[in-house]
Amino acid sequence: MGMKRRWLGNSVSYIYLTILAAVATFPLLWIISSSFKSPGEMVGSPLSFFPKEPTLLYYDRVLNVLNFDVNIVNSIIVALSATFISIVISALAAYGIVRFFPRVGKVMTRVLITTYLFPPILLAIPYSILITKVQLANSLVGLVITYLSFSIPYAVWLMIGFFRTVPLEIEEAARVDGANKLMVFYRIALPVVAPGIVAVAVYTFINAWNEFLFSLILINSTGKMPVSVALYSLTGAEILDWGEMMAASVLVILPSVIFFLIIQNKIAGGLTQGSVK
Amino acid sequence: MKRYRRLLQTNATGMYFILPAILVVVLLLIYPILSSLYFSFTTKHLIRPQVKFIGFENYISILTNPDFYVAFANSIKWTIVSITGQLLVGFTAALALNRIPKLKGLYRTLLIIPWAFPVIVIAISWKWILNGVSGFIPNILVNIGATDELVQFFANPDLVFWTVVAVNIWFGAPLFMVNVLSALQTIPAEQYEAAQIDGASSFQSFWHITLRHVRVVIGLLLVLRTIWIFNNFELVYLLTGGGPADLTMTLPIFAYNTGWGLKQLGVASAITVLLLIFLLCVCFLYFKLLDKWEKEDEM
Repeated sequence: MGMKRRWLGNSVSYIYLTILAAVATFPLLWIISSSFKSPGEMVGSPLSFFPKEPTLLYYDRVLNVLNFDVNIVNSIIVALSATFISIVISALAAYGIVRFFPRVGKVMTRVLITTYLFPPILLAIPYSILITKVQLANSLVGLVITYLSFSIPYAVWLMIGFFRTVPLEIEEAARVDGANKLMVFYRIALPVVAPGIVAVAVYTFINAWNEFLFSLILINSTGKMPVSVALYSLTGAEILDWGEMMAASVLVILPSVIFFLIIQNKIAGGLTQGSVK
Repeated sequence: MKRYRRLLQTNATGMYFILPAILVVVLLLIYPILSSLYFSFTTKHLIRPQVKFIGFENYISILTNPDFYVAFANSIKWTIVSITGQLLVGFTAALALNRIPKLKGLYRTLLIIPWAFPVIVIAISWKWILNGVSGFIPNILVNIGATDELVQFFANPDLVFWTVVAVNIWFGAPLFMVNVLSALQTIPAEQYEAAQIDGASSFQSFWHITLRHVRVVIGLLLVLRTIWIFNNFELVYLLTGGGPADLTMTLPIFAYNTGWGLKQLGVASAITVLLLIFLLCVCFLYFKLLDKWEKEDEM
């Protein structure tokens, strides 16, 4: 009886998960497939999954006519800079909170959640005014600055969980040997949590790469646009070229998905595993 | 013990560690929000330079504007329906993943993929899949005989809201799934065995053991996702732009249109301030509930 019920429950679970997996992965597979279809097939056979005459036509147009490579470089510059600055500031802050202000840990968590509360659209208005005022409108530097507003609170939050796992004893030993606080942090604590920090860095990079609203508001020339807004500008064309949009979408999403799958085990559970409690 | 205390007591140097982060929070979060609050009492315009202080006039004009209430109602409906859907799909997927003996990692990886999608790609790919001319889903529905004509998911007033909600569930369910799954995996197996020996039904075990263990995680996820969905501008804006006929007009889009469409940044600031006040109230209630649950868990 018990065996039979378990078997039934497992079968239902497998069927359910298979359906969900199909729904979850279909859009990715479909845009990849569409990006290789010929223009005729794109509209003519909307149900065929494998392109009959695979073509690189759209990729060629996106990179060589629309100069999407410039936007890709912009995005890499912005995302890397935002990630580097965020990680340095957040690692210091998370370590500082855990080691020197342990009592405020819970309060800090709530404060960080509160910063998450601020609607991006609420920040967008003052940012558009302030960034213009300091002459950074339509520049990648301005964009990097605004990205810190969402990446740092989140990174601090995740890293507090990591630094809690560093035993005080090993730091104490180094202190006895005369190392100062910054050296203890850099030489002892940081290496212990390094794998976690790499994961947070990758996650920060993905979020910066995917960001849309601030770029929409702050950047107005095609040559300065990061990929998200450059891709959006394709949707405003008078005659929509779905093929180009598909090829550009694939170029934008592949780094995201690949990086995300690499770090999924570190980040995905981390939200609730300890960083919050 | 003494040595530990010495390490902890030197809070002054500890301040240097958190100072840069505090600076960022002050300069990039607190200061902009205060300036937004200030703009909300002025005639701040996107292009015109002169600014006049006008007290509560912006707030009055918003609160007497029927469009505001349409957007507010849409926002609430969109948040509640989306979050319920995300929770149901994510929670059931986590339960299923937790019980299967094989392929757990593979299914988890496949199911998590929507989470990595940039919002602009979510919009473009679903608009392509649901496209009313050569989209996959409208065509396959005709092909299998489910509908006579190609369904216009984004133009049909009866469908557009639910279409956007479905896309949001597709995108948000994995976050629930993964976090609930990691909470489920921390439940000790002995508790279920003990319950079985005591003659508890599987529903009773589910209610008293499973749900009790994951409710704090779910509560926290509900807080975070409520905020995210309620605040979310991009997803709906990129899928529908708020249309057709304002059927998917939410507060953030309403604020954006007022600020960048009508160029009235002062009024737009006031809308976003109201948005924030509303969210603060919702979060306050959530935190009360979470505190109660956490205390019960500790007992």
